[in-house]
Amino acid sequence: MAGHSKTIKVDYLARVEGEGALHIDYDDSGVQKVQLKIFEPPRFFEALLRGRDYLEAPDITARICGICPVAYQMSAVHGMEDALGIKPSGALRELRRLLYCGEWIESHMLHISMLHAPDFLGYPNAVAMAKDHPEVVKNALEIKKAGNALVRLIGGREVHPINVRVGGFYKVPENRELTALAEQLETARDLAEQLVIWSSTLPFPNYEWRRDNHYEFVALKHPTEYPMNEGRITSSKGLDITARDYENYFEEEHLAHSTALHCTLKNRGAYLVGPIARFNLNRDKLSPRARQLAESLKVAAPCLNPFQSILVRSLEVLHAFEEALRIIGKYQKPEEPHLATKPKAASGCAATEAPRGLLYHRYDIDKNGKITVAKIVAPTSQNQKTIEDDLRLMLPSFMHFPEDKLRGLCERAIRNYDPCISCSTHFLQLHLNNGQGQSS
Amino acid sequence: MHEMNLIKNLIDKIHELASDEPGKPIGVRLRLGALAHISAKHLREHFDREVLGTSLEGIKLEIDELKDINHREAQDVILESLKFEETDGH
Ligand SMILES: [Zn+2]
Repeated sequence: MAGHSKTIKVDYLARVEGEGALHIDYDDSGVQKVQLKIFEPPRFFEALLRGRDYLEAPDITARICGICPVAYQMSAVHGMEDALGIKPSGALRELRRLLYCGEWIESHMLHISMLHAPDFLGYPNAVAMAKDHPEVVKNALEIKKAGNALVRLIGGREVHPINVRVGGFYKVPENRELTALAEQLETARDLAEQLVIWSSTLPFPNYEWRRDNHYEFVALKHPTEYPMNEGRITSSKGLDITARDYENYFEEEHLAHSTALHCTLKNRGAYLVGPIARFNLNRDKLSPRARQLAESLKVAAPCLNPFQSILVRSLEVLHAFEEALRIIGKYQKPEEPHLATKPKAASGCAATEAPRGLLYHRYDIDKNGKITVAKIVAPTSQNQKTIEDDLRLMLPSFMHFPEDKLRGLCERAIRNYDPCISCSTHFLQLHLNNGQGQSS
Repeated sequence: MHEMNLIKNLIDKIHELASDEPGKPIGVRLRLGALAHISAKHLREHFDREVLGTSLEGIKLEIDELKDINHREAQDVILESLKFEETDGH
């Protein structure tokens, strides 16, 4: 049969479908109900992890999201280490921060340049935006590339990094491999600084969470660092607990309208995780350059305009570069790439700061190191109730918009939170229900 | 996870097209935009895993990586063509 084949031309655009749907019920008296349906993967992975060896957790969890695999890995290894009672320190700990810096840069830049900035400026996508703002798109790709280089070097590859293991890494970089990256990082840092200034000039809609009644901001807090891998779980309304206490304070509710779970703070309700929450609770811990820039641009904490999340993200990108350069500047290759680990029956918890917010993991393992329980609470499900509340508050003034314009506004508002559905350019199926049983 | 959804959509389309053709699909060619959030290597990995154990197992995947960030398809993944084994008598 060799050589006897026929080819058909297709040209079909592959789509990411069914990940987001927004149902709005309204009538003459106003917006009654807002339900956001998000397709959320961690549930599926919790089941997949059961019965697997504890050492497999970082590689399996990395596959939950192609944009923030490091966050899932970091929480997984910290959770396992909590169970086993080990704590990598020194250069190993610093390398993990460095890897996390790479991921923040990659993920934030993807969000800023491919999705959020085009939204702001009224372009359907980055390609269209590049025609009028070629420098911005070019520089953004340059910045993202430096993030990729970090993840590639320390994580072993750009996507689904494979070099992370419980206790440390499979292989640690040589001093010279890191210093070789410094120049690229410095150049990208300067571009990132320009990006912060540029994003401060974007036309932010005049909308603020009410000062007296805004959401509870939840983020990690560390005594000396802008939080990434570790810290206490704190909030703007006085919460201050360890990851081990997470499930005593936060609860998940299963809702019929979404495969995702809604998280709330017990007896307190919706809360917000992510860059704005992180910034509001940790502004004083930003790197010197990022902090000065925030001051000179008058980005104050608390930041209460959700649309400014793009500005906060770019500040965090600048911070990540400075932090990366600081770590590289004093790096000394550790003797061993990881601490020795030996399984025992135990349970462990960890919370880290994924680019889009707090990520919580809990694992139970048996004496042979088999995972018996895995629990993963992703940032998206923690913010989902806040996103719906936000839309409910915002929508009454906009319900007269034609459907296209309304969808655009909703997409943009949802993108402030960078939920895991935001990859596809036009992701939202909008279902309007006007109370007379008519739906469009 | 977006990638899983994307690949699933792609594979559904391949099955749909294959059901209209007499031969067995033996090759698939994709165009990958310069700004698509997935890399060719990553895309291939997901694809290979998704077709494992299905009628598409072993299908040859070719990926054209586009370099132009200004191309109108720069953010897209396009199923360009499908290659079928010719059955006897056709
Ligand atoms: Zn994602």
